[in-house]
Amino acid sequence: MNTRRLVGLVVANVRGSKASVALATVGVAVGIAFLSFFVGLGEGLRERVLNRIFPANQLELEPRAVRIFGVEGTLGQAPLDDVRLGAIAKIAGVRRAVGKQKSAFPARLWGGKRLLGFNLHAEAFFDGLPAGLMRPELQKTEAQRAIPLVGAAGGRCDVDIDCRPGQRCVDGACEVIVWSRWFDTELANFRCDADDECRPGRACVDGQCRSSATSGPESTGKALVQRCRLRSDAEQWAILADKSRGHVVVTCDSNKAGCVTSRRCPEPQYCAPDHPGTLDGTCELPVPTVLNPLLLEVFNSDMAASLGIAKMASTDVLYGVRYHIKIGDSHFTQDAERRRQMVKQAIVVGFSAKAPELGVAMPLEWVRYFNARLAGKEKAGLYDAVIVETASNQVVPGVIDAAEDLGFALSRRSRIARTFGTVVFLVYLALVLIALVVLAVAALNIAQTLAMLVHERRREIAILRSIGANRRAIWALVVGEAVALGAVGGLVGYGLAWGGAVVVDAVAAELLAGMPLVPESFFLLPAWLPAVAVVTALSFCILGALGPARRATRLDPADVLSQG
Amino acid sequence: MTLIVADKLGRTFGRGGDRVQALVDVTLEISAGEHLAIIGRSGAGKSTLLRLMGALDTGYTGSLRVDGRELRGLGDSDLSRFRNTRVGFVFQAFNLLPNLTVGANLVLPAFFSDALSESEAEKRARSLLERVGLTDKWDTAPLKLSGGERQRVAIARALLLHPPVLICDEPTGALDEETAADVLDLFEEVRAERNSTLIVVTHDHSIAARAQRTIRLDGGRLVSDDGASA
Repeated sequence: MNTRRLVGLVVANVRGSKASVALATVGVAVGIAFLSFFVGLGEGLRERVLNRIFPANQLELEPRAVRIFGVEGTLGQAPLDDVRLGAIAKIAGVRRAVGKQKSAFPARLWGGKRLLGFNLHAEAFFDGLPAGLMRPELQKTEAQRAIPLVGAAGGRCDVDIDCRPGQRCVDGACEVIVWSRWFDTELANFRCDADDECRPGRACVDGQCRSSATSGPESTGKALVQRCRLRSDAEQWAILADKSRGHVVVTCDSNKAGCVTSRRCPEPQYCAPDHPGTLDGTCELPVPTVLNPLLLEVFNSDMAASLGIAKMASTDVLYGVRYHIKIGDSHFTQDAERRRQMVKQAIVVGFSAKAPELGVAMPLEWVRYFNARLAGKEKAGLYDAVIVETASNQVVPGVIDAAEDLGFALSRRSRIARTFGTVVFLVYLALVLIALVVLAVAALNIAQTLAMLVHERRREIAILRSIGANRRAIWALVVGEAVALGAVGGLVGYGLAWGGAVVVDAVAAELLAGMPLVPESFFLLPAWLPAVAVVTALSFCILGALGPARRATRLDPADVLSQG
Repeated sequence: MTLIVADKLGRTFGRGGDRVQALVDVTLEISAGEHLAIIGRSGAGKSTLLRLMGALDTGYTGSLRVDGRELRGLGDSDLSRFRNTRVGFVFQAFNLLPNLTVGANLVLPAFFSDALSESEAEKRARSLLERVGLTDKWDTAPLKLSGGERQRVAIARALLLHPPVLICDEPTGALDEETAADVLDLFEEVRAERNSTLIVVTHDHSIAARAQRTIRLDGGRLVSDDGASA
């Protein structure tokens, strides 16, 4: 019997037993729906949530701590410098190893008046991270932010305030400010051999492009450093670009201290004072900073109510916000001597889970620079942790072992990440197992349904045998029905899973609107999933059909036909 | 030419104390083109003999050769091919597949044979349907036909692959007298046209009277054969 004829008979049989077949199909479809839904959810949680926060192929290693009498330290270990960083980079399977430096100085920050109506003050902690580590994330966020602007009705503006946060008014239209490029440029231009390798407003000092930080004596005479002067203390603390842009100072013969012009520091630079309280400084860009989206959650859940202000709907409102940081000053500890203190403007250029939960991430070079100024050059040459990117997820255990041999241990974040990863994997596994149990039950249901159908069709099978159908043809007919059930059940089940995912995402979007770390979709339905769904459904259905098919082939046609 | 040869053919059902001898030492020869009626009371072994000759059952003792081949030694594929190409069955209960249309029922034997292509099978099936007077019923469901019409379809199906033997088990048992007569006329015409061997099981003497030869079974034994000497 050829396939086309077999299909014709199968279709006829399926049509003739619609109710039973529909019932059996529902069982398979539900099983496959569970399986596809859970696989999609598991993949989504791993890829779109967990991997976003803790990329599976990214580890953070710290020098292994030794605890003596309750005090933790890295006794006897060589400092984490470029040499040890290089050793980590040489471990097989490591694609990239970069250093992370924490701030080793007191600092505080304040800002948000335009957003909250008052300035929020806080102690500040900084993590210096290589910009490349967050570049893809920042660019992706910006790409998403740019989407609503395309073809946006109006989008017209006269001034910046007509636009949404993170946008500015350019030629009467709102335009997304791509701050991440700035973050990138900071790093790209930080190392240099000559002034002309730095962007305007910076000078190359000791192999690094420096702006405000070098606005002291060492940069004097560097043509590319644009000196400026503020008119009052109020301008120093102003966050509005216009007020804090000061006035450019140029050299003039009549006054060696320089002549103040009517020109202001070019937008979006500001006039960064050399020291707190002085009015002289240099034109420079705000320090680009990245926040952890969890900050928003902490703010909304713990701070908003006590401050009597509204919750922030999303991280969007913080995007592009400028604030002040005062390096060497603290609410709690002893301040650094005043001449070493610095006041800078910073700007929020993006959000990343790689930023510290209660702190601010900024380009490594900035933290290194601040550390050099306030904690000494020795500290500035060392790292606190190594961020390792592996070639694949599979090599991670080997890399950890090798790093441990070199005196490193996983940082708390990485330990948590691995624990989360394991938990998510186990939950995922459990859900898939549940789905497989549902499918096994469905297979039993199929077996029962087909056994019932075979019993009901004993006479038809006997007739087919009497007109020349051999056992193989009868087997193919019964299994063919199971294949039809499996194909339909698989596709319907996948469709149900897809619909379920859409519904869950819609509900989540409604309930979790504005919450950080909430992906657009919790599900990742890979291209191979429909095929897997159908193949799994077919496998279970064929498995369930084997018994009934065997019984069908063993029917004695003479016996059945003699029963009248 | 002798088509079917049964020599001391026996068939026993059940085991131990429940053993029932349905056929006992039946010896018989049937020629090609012969019209044979098998009569006897219920339980006489008529249908058992028919099923053995139609290769639906091969659990016999003795010997049964059709076209010179001993049926008992054949495997499932050979037996299926034999039923497909050498025998056409017509049953009292018509035995059409209710899920298929008349046309699909008709071409069904060709599904299990390489003898005809799909188009050839359909062409022949339509011709047979016209022959049995049901041209316009191709797409009709069997359940929408009358008993006589269903039996005509069953006869047409049995003839699709031109089998040399036509085996009919009480073919008119479910039909009224007039329809039964029409069906019997059809059988006779077909047999005459194709020189087929027609074996009809019946307990109706008027039907048996139409046959060239009648054998009677009683208690599984062949008790009379009016053509034994022929």
